Amino acid sequence: MADSGSRLRRYALLLVLLAGFGLVMFRLVTLQVLQAEELSARAGRQHEKTVSLEGPRGTIVDRHGKVLAMNMEVPSVFGVPTTLESPAKTARQLSSVLPVKLNELERKLRQDRSFVWLARKLDPEQGRRLDRLSLDGIGVVMEGRRFYPKGPLLAHVLGVAGMDGEGLEGVEYRYESYLRGEKRMMVLQRDALGRTVFPKSLAERSPVSGHQLALTIDEVVQYIAEKELEAAVSQAQAKSGSVVVLDPQSGAVLAMAVSPAFDPNALSALKKGRLQNTAITDAYEPGSTMKAMIAAAAIEEGAMKPTTMVFGEHGRMTIANTVIHDHEKLGWMSFAQVIQKSSNIGAAKTGMALGGQRLYRYLGAFGFGQRTEIDLPGEGVGLVKNPKAWGRRSIASISMGQEIGVTPIQMVSAFAALANEGILMKPYVVSEIRDADGHLLKRVAPQVKRRVISPETARSVTRILEGVVTHGTGTRAAIPGFRVAGKTGTAQQIDLKTHRYSSSRFVTSFVGYVPADNPRLAMIVIIDGPKDKRASGGSLAAPVFSSIGEQVLSYLNVSTDRPVTLAMAMPNF
Amino acid sequence: MKIFTVLLGVCLVFVFVWERVDMVRVGYQIERLKRDKTVLERQRDELRVKFSSLSASNRIAKLATEKLGMSLPQQGQVIMVQSRPSVTPSADVAPAGVRVARNYLPSRSD
Repeated sequence: MADSGSRLRRYALLLVLLAGFGLVMFRLVTLQVLQAEELSARAGRQHEKTVSLEGPRGTIVDRHGKVLAMNMEVPSVFGVPTTLESPAKTARQLSSVLPVKLNELERKLRQDRSFVWLARKLDPEQGRRLDRLSLDGIGVVMEGRRFYPKGPLLAHVLGVAGMDGEGLEGVEYRYESYLRGEKRMMVLQRDALGRTVFPKSLAERSPVSGHQLALTIDEVVQYIAEKELEAAVSQAQAKSGSVVVLDPQSGAVLAMAVSPAFDPNALSALKKGRLQNTAITDAYEPGSTMKAMIAAAAIEEGAMKPTTMVFGEHGRMTIANTVIHDHEKLGWMSFAQVIQKSSNIGAAKTGMALGGQRLYRYLGAFGFGQRTEIDLPGEGVGLVKNPKAWGRRSIASISMGQEIGVTPIQMVSAFAALANEGILMKPYVVSEIRDADGHLLKRVAPQVKRRVISPETARSVTRILEGVVTHGTGTRAAIPGFRVAGKTGTAQQIDLKTHRYSSSRFVTSFVGYVPADNPRLAMIVIIDGPKDKRASGGSLAAPVFSSIGEQVLSYLNVSTDRPVTLAMAMPNF
Repeated sequence: MKIFTVLLGVCLVFVFVWERVDMVRVGYQIERLKRDKTVLERQRDELRVKFSSLSASNRIAKLATEKLGMSLPQQGQVIMVQSRPSVTPSADVAPAGVRVARNYLPSRSD
């Protein structure tokens, strides 16, 4: 009896244990199999956090590695209005730190919302001051902000990056795909307190930064160009101006200055239209600087020699019922003197000797009417009409630099071809692309576009252009100790009301290269719309060329190529 | 033998638990170091921006002219000449350009 009672108890206990175990198993199967998906997702939401991370935008440096644009993480401030006890008090405390008006802060903090931006992308120092306040209901997140440490320097070439870090203009826009940091989604594990423990997969890498761009620009040359241009534009009370400095042998842009400048760090204060890089976008009638190209074409084609005598018609000639004037009454002169004295009549006769078709062919060969393909956005084409659309005066007009529109970069590239023994190079501003670790990804090699004229013709034109500076219209472009070749230009602008050439609005320019026998610099200086009606390329732009050229040659340690007389060298003693 | 197996099992459990705990500890350590790295990188970037803006040519020129009373050389005052060594140069020494400030030429009377 006792045995049967004991056995019964054992069975009962076994049954209870089996039932308990069965329940546990049932629960286990329910959790691990039947509800596995839903519970796993719920657990994931609790202890995993997916964040979208973006590597910082790449840095832009000059040819010597000086930083021109870089990203930095800076504080952005937000408020949680629903948790604030006294929005007015918090707003007062914040107003001493944030660049936001008190009433604006208070208005934002009184909103019935759980999140509101108060100020974005502040200076790091402002963030530190805010930290010291340690206000409840106010939070800080770090965001990438683009800094241009040199301020307005090179602003038109660099362009700008927007609030969300996207390139909007200039190099920032053109090289967006290289500069933009890598975007990556990352899953992080969180503990019970919400702290990040480590990434879900330890193999996950942080997003990679954008690539670093090295420009051909030299910060010092750029500074010299901008300083001298700004001074000249201001002194002449001109509307605007531009300077482009090229290495004629490679086409590398050493400086590209545009006035008026702007500060890319203060975009909100920017006036409309200031972002435009007029050195590559805007076409202008070049005036007499075009005569250098006409001379090159005429000599190359054998239509003229430097010694060929040309009659100046005593400063007045009628072509297609229009009278062409020279600035002085010129009689017989050599073809070299036609260029050096900048005779319109001589240039018109040269153009006519060359003929329409050949003239048009050389305009194209020098790169007019087509983009130079410089690696900057928004480049203009200029305006070169097809010969079929030319009038009876067109050959003469184009030979004097009228009826044609060129951009400053086209004109300086064409002069650089003269300096480079007749070979036209493609201008460029980015020389190297490196990854975030500094490994070289791409090095831009100088690119030959085409041979335009023979080396002999180029040397012949150079000698003529040297005469422009030694005893022609461009004497103020002279640089002591160096042989300078160049050409002045003073072009009237079309009056949009009368559709005729204005007598008060004109563009003055000087384009040239130095040293003439082994050119290191090709440069264009344009002063647009000076106040003085008597101003000319020789009086306004040529001195700027001289001033920039002398400082840059000294900076580049270029030796003088001829003796310097004491009188020239020491004007102040 | 049974005791040994049980002990081994217990040891394995301890090793497993210890490994998990240590992983979490190292995880916290990595995160702390990452935060430190981020802070240091921010400081580095801030200093780089500061250095770049302080070394801008226009700022240096302004300080030199306004604070130190310096002035830019006038046209023709600085001349680049080829150096002419007094003794026969060795084959591996190329002639170098020399900058001469006109004001300080040795031939000047002052």
